[in-house]
Amino acid sequence: MADKAVELQPSMVRRRLSIPFPVQLVLWWCLWLLFLLFLFSGIGFSLGFIRIRTIALDWGFIATWWLFISKGVIVTFELSVISIISAMVLALAAALARLSRFAPFNSLASLYVSLMRGTPLYLQIIFIYQALPQLGLVLTAFTSAVLALSLNYGAYMSEIFRAGIQAVGRGQTEAAYALGMTPWQTMRRIVLPQAFRIITPDIGNQFIAMQKDTSLASAITLLELMGLARQAGAPRQHFFEALVVAAVWYWLMTIVLSYFQRKLEHRMARSDR
Amino acid sequence: MEPIVTVQNLHKRFGNLEVLKGVNLRVAPREVVCLIGRSGSGKSTLLRCINFLEEPNEGVISVAGITVPAGERTREHRQHIIELRERAGMVFQSFNLFPHKTVLENLIEAPMIVKGMSREQAIPIAEKLLEKVGLASKRDVYPSKLSGGQQQRVAIARALTMEPQVMLFDEPTSALDPELIGEVLEVMRDLARDGMTMLVVTHEMGFAREVADRVIFMDGGVFVEEGPPAQCLVNPQDERTRRFLERIL
Repeated sequence: MADKAVELQPSMVRRRLSIPFPVQLVLWWCLWLLFLLFLFSGIGFSLGFIRIRTIALDWGFIATWWLFISKGVIVTFELSVISIISAMVLALAAALARLSRFAPFNSLASLYVSLMRGTPLYLQIIFIYQALPQLGLVLTAFTSAVLALSLNYGAYMSEIFRAGIQAVGRGQTEAAYALGMTPWQTMRRIVLPQAFRIITPDIGNQFIAMQKDTSLASAITLLELMGLARQAGAPRQHFFEALVVAAVWYWLMTIVLSYFQRKLEHRMARSDR
Repeated sequence: MEPIVTVQNLHKRFGNLEVLKGVNLRVAPREVVCLIGRSGSGKSTLLRCINFLEEPNEGVISVAGITVPAGERTREHRQHIIELRERAGMVFQSFNLFPHKTVLENLIEAPMIVKGMSREQAIPIAEKLLEKVGLASKRDVYPSKLSGGQQQRVAIARALTMEPQVMLFDEPTSALDPELIGEVLEVMRDLARDGMTMLVVTHEMGFAREVADRVIFMDGGVFVEEGPPAQCLVNPQDERTRRFLERIL
């Protein structure tokens, strides 16, 4: 018996040392983050013959200008929230039109989707701000950016909405019809609520993507996060520091949004079959 | 007695396939009619044509005083179909409860949206019906938490909230585990006893024999044989009925 106990010991020791995989992941995440910070620390040293220098940021510049750049977060956030809401309205309308048997609406919606997906968002933003004035339609930079982002994302999201609506089973529609509900009542009360549940993760992804695409609005002089970073960096030739500040903000906003997206999905999953 | 459901010369085609070839049916008030036959014989299609879930190609349907001819496209026609559906409750093979609504919400939805009742008016009716199907305790539960048999009983209660004059059952027990079939048949038996007019597509021969006033055997889109269960199920005259019963019993 004593022999057996001795034999078992090594494996038991190994088991005690093993760290659960999720914990390993978190530890490694922290480690890589520290490494990233180290890369930007400006520390220089030599290993034998090799001289190693990390990236030296001008912290004085950052201390002076970070608040100036950070004010852009508010504009970026406003721009993306207003745009995603109007994009959803457009997407829903386009999706319903694409599902209808009424040819004029159906074809109009597919033309819209094709046009918006077939041209770059960058072009659309500049077009609305700089080309439309030729027709006498002058919009502010903010309005132009909202319009372009909603039109563009509305087109992409209409496909998501359409797939979500089609994913709700035929039996649901039939049950509602059999109870005497009209097609519109059925869509509003039975199909759409279920479709929204199905596409919540996709809408979240679109919102996160749009958060970053708002930076294209800096091309039309809108002073959001990206625009302010360039304004701060350009005259002083400190693009590196300015853009790092902006990048950190975009990243943080994305992390926060992802967190809320997960919580929302969790809540919506409660009544799932 | 004046029939509560009449089907005249009903034709239904899916592409080139003619599923119903001129069906005529009259159902008296309080009568329980069971439709039997092989799959593909047209019995489910007939049921689904009666409340226009399938648009018939030809024929006239009449339910409780609402007469709707096939093949019209007007706004008035659509309105008539909705009125007809309010008078004909339907129960599906796959239950089709609304998964995003609780049991009670499933029941008050149509009375509120279609009949324009207030929540306060609709709830007592729903609760009474839940009691009737033995599920009063499940009123605030989501359908996903119920067994198949319980879901089907809720579906029956949901159809009854519209106070239909006819109930259409489309293979109501076919998707259920054998041990859950009994509780659903029990609810249907109670309904028949209370005098509900019922049209039931089913493979449950025991139920047909016990509850039905009339059994109709369908094959190839027509009625092959019909009569009281004692005759049609026990001593069938037609060769096709006999072969079908031999295989199923």
